[in-house]
Amino acid sequence: MTSGQRASRRRGLLLVAPALTVLALLTGYPALYVLWLSLQHRIPVFGIAEFAGLAHYWFLAQDPRFWNAAGTTGLFTLASVLLELVLGVLVALALYARPRGRRLGFSLLLLAWAMPAVVTAKLFEWLYHPAAGLVNVVLVGRALNWLGDPVLALPAVILADVWRTMPFVAILAYARLLTIPSELYEAAQVDGASRLGMLRYITLPLLRQILMIAVLFRTLDAVRAFDLMFVLTGGGPANTTETLTVYAYRGLFQMLQLGFGSAIGVIVFVLVMTVAWAYLRLLRREGLAA
Amino acid sequence: MRSWSGPREAKALVVLASLLALGGCAGESPDRGITLVFKHARILGPTDPIPTLLREFEASHPGVRVKSESLPWTSDEQHQFYAINLEGGSPGFDVMMLDVIWVPEFARAGWLLDLSPFLAADETAPFFPSAVAAATYDGRVWALPWNMNVGMLYYRADLLARHGLSPPDTWEELVSQVRRIRAAERDPRLEGYLWQGKQYEGMVVNVLEAFWANGTRVLAEDGRLFPEPDQAAEALAFLRRLIETGVSPEWMTAADEELSRRAFGDGQAIFLRNWPYALDLFEAPNSRVRGKVGIAPLPRHARAAASGGSTGGSHLGISRRTAQPALALALVRFLTSARAQRAMVSGAALYPSRQAVYHDSDLARSHPMLPRIHAMMLAGRPRPVTPYYLVLSTTVQPEFSAVLVGLKSPQRAIRDGRRRLEHFLVSLR
Amino acid sequence: MKPLVRAIPDGLVVLGLIVYAVPFFWQLLTSFKPEAELLRLPPLLPTRLTLDHYRVVLEHSVIPRALANSLGIASLTTLGALVLGIPAAYAIARFPLPGKSLLLLAIVGSTAFPQIATVSPLYLILRFLGLRDTWLALVLAHTSFALPLTIWLLAGFIREIPPALEESAAVDGASTTQTLGQVVLPLLAPGLASTALLTFLFSWNEFLFAYTFTATEASRTVPVALALFPGVYEVPWGDIAAASMLASLPPILIVLVFQRHLVRGLLAGALRE
Repeated sequence: MTSGQRASRRRGLLLVAPALTVLALLTGYPALYVLWLSLQHRIPVFGIAEFAGLAHYWFLAQDPRFWNAAGTTGLFTLASVLLELVLGVLVALALYARPRGRRLGFSLLLLAWAMPAVVTAKLFEWLYHPAAGLVNVVLVGRALNWLGDPVLALPAVILADVWRTMPFVAILAYARLLTIPSELYEAAQVDGASRLGMLRYITLPLLRQILMIAVLFRTLDAVRAFDLMFVLTGGGPANTTETLTVYAYRGLFQMLQLGFGSAIGVIVFVLVMTVAWAYLRLLRREGLAA
Repeated sequence: MRSWSGPREAKALVVLASLLALGGCAGESPDRGITLVFKHARILGPTDPIPTLLREFEASHPGVRVKSESLPWTSDEQHQFYAINLEGGSPGFDVMMLDVIWVPEFARAGWLLDLSPFLAADETAPFFPSAVAAATYDGRVWALPWNMNVGMLYYRADLLARHGLSPPDTWEELVSQVRRIRAAERDPRLEGYLWQGKQYEGMVVNVLEAFWANGTRVLAEDGRLFPEPDQAAEALAFLRRLIETGVSPEWMTAADEELSRRAFGDGQAIFLRNWPYALDLFEAPNSRVRGKVGIAPLPRHARAAASGGSTGGSHLGISRRTAQPALALALVRFLTSARAQRAMVSGAALYPSRQAVYHDSDLARSHPMLPRIHAMMLAGRPRPVTPYYLVLSTTVQPEFSAVLVGLKSPQRAIRDGRRRLEHFLVSLR
Repeated sequence: MKPLVRAIPDGLVVLGLIVYAVPFFWQLLTSFKPEAELLRLPPLLPTRLTLDHYRVVLEHSVIPRALANSLGIASLTTLGALVLGIPAAYAIARFPLPGKSLLLLAIVGSTAFPQIATVSPLYLILRFLGLRDTWLALVLAHTSFALPLTIWLLAGFIREIPPALEESAAVDGASTTQTLGQVVLPLLAPGLASTALLTFLFSWNEFLFAYTFTATEASRTVPVALALFPGVYEVPWGDIAAASMLASLPPILIVLVFQRHLVRGLLAGALRE
């Protein structure tokens, strides 16, 4: 390596050092710390810090509430991402076709996406109100207790989440649609292809890659989702909307068990990282990722 | 005090933050006098007697100013506020209003000033024994009882009288009375028995009362959890059956004190379980049930002994890091004095922790039910007095709630609850 | 192209947009509806509009203070992330760093960190530093995810700039700082705007850390204040609706005024794979 290259390297390290130090302190250190916490019985209020080994993990493996939370997380993720995908593509196609309503459509979509999740939660809490909520008054006609019914609560939460995050998929898909050359469609039309056929054999395959990226992001977000269900239902009724994140939070700050809650947090961390790794492998195979 | 709109430089922020953490705020006020900070929950009700009382205290202690600050609305938020502010450093307040269930926890955490050295030998005698017991931890007294609560049964005296019934002695009697009255009244909007079944501390109180009514409890003296699981499961099953059979409406699982009180106060129910504060609201001039409400002790189950309602209320504690311990204690003594407690009954429906006030002749006219409430309070039981009560409560809440909503069998709920509690409490034994 | 996507009829699209917009506009309407008419439906539309709810929120709640807190914390977070992130992004984009791919992986990976995993150690750390209920606590917590995001986005934006200008600046004898400040930054301006907007937005909207590390209105941010909005006997839906509108003001502003930059940031984040 030449001295010029070495100097260049040094300068690069100097530039990146402050940010790396901050990151190491704010992300790296806590990541190791939470692992250590998960191996303890830790109740800060009483100054209790006792090594527990894998006791929490052993407990969680046999804990029905943990598996319920895992199942709820899985169901929420699957349903949300699927609905966002379908609706997002439909919206992107629709907006692409109508140049007049586009600006308004985009503003609406971005607004829903940009609002704090807490605002969305309050919005939908009011919509789901048994007596005065729009959903019951206009659509259902009966005073259904959306957020208090063990069967209806999770779908209600999923709907709110889809409303909020579908724009992400829509905008990504729309941006990709813009890059598809119109000659492809013109040529297909000349060959006598139907509208649905063009959609199936030209548009969707070309959208595939961006949609896979969108699904990656959305899946990671859905697994980590917290704000919406915490504010909307608090994990209830009777834990039917309690995802792993909500269970972890309650363990940490309601049951005051910092060690136990950290163990669940570590599990969520491993889950997220596994999903990310699996997806990246898939994307790499498709030639998308570096 | 803590109000600062954030300077631009992060460095200045750190300096400021450290200064604030070190300096604390309960100290000298600008006019060289002494300021005591008193944190308490906002008083609901027509009048707030606290400001007047504080001004009186200031008048008798020249140079002292008492600043009263309100806590957040819900019990959970208040607890979180205290937990965050009391850990390390000066919290910035001297006297604090504490829910009775927090006192052992705060004492164990080292946040409260030990009052035992300052109290006279018989100073705690005038208070309810269960309230004093709830404030005692490790043989020392950490707070003085301020106001007292007990779970009671409210009933529509007019409806019962109309059908020649007297307040039920057992739960089975209550259920049959509900059936009888509803069959006769034929009012579809008339509910039977309202209580609190939402997933929060209030629901745990209801379940505990149900346990006691069936001769069992959550925590035994030797620390065993759910020592009589079958009886506990039976009690839980009874609560669930109330909803299943329609004695209580479906929305019971979303009801807290206020929701249930309002429905009863609108004349929509025959029986209600609630705290004494509701009585004043029912007897208010514009109340629809004015003059129609009676109170009675909570029923028991047929083959168990009478058990009484759960006691509750708040205590006044002093922060261990206060700069003015003597003055803070004076304020606590003043606010728990008979005079102050009399003012609180009339002004804010806060029931006294001093037993003698219940037989005060002046109050007897405006509050004729006081002696009966007093008897119920004496017969009431405290929730488990342990620093880990909050851990216990938050751990069993979802289990109990699952039973009430019909998602879990009572036996499984108790089994799961016990297993989880044992896992959490293993480091605390 | 048009015939293809007209597979979806116009009417349906319009209906879809209206249905999609309903939640937002219903909340807006609720914030202006008189209290007495809130729980009595039908009729859906109010007989008159009122500013009562906004008055209550602005005069008697902690929302104004929370807005100030959120503004300060989000601004400081964005500032800090940019100050630290710009040099780091430049280094990653232009300099031969040892273990660069691993570094990039670590940085990108930390954007995927679940907050629920870092909230407990951060809680203990902040408690130890005595930073409960302060702006600094939240700025630090938010920086933990704002900084990697910033570095990642900016590195991508920098790579889009042709290095020719920087090379000629180097030939002219400019130092790294000069090159960065006078050549790169001006060209990076649109990318900077997008990154800053996204960072500000994420910090403004953040809930988990804010809920855990704040205790009073000294540091409470708007999402937390909204979640804990007090209701005495019944839930004050009108006041909450008004508070929700106020809480959404910066996002609304960013979406309407800076839409292009926002979308560019969004796309950059996704396509930077």
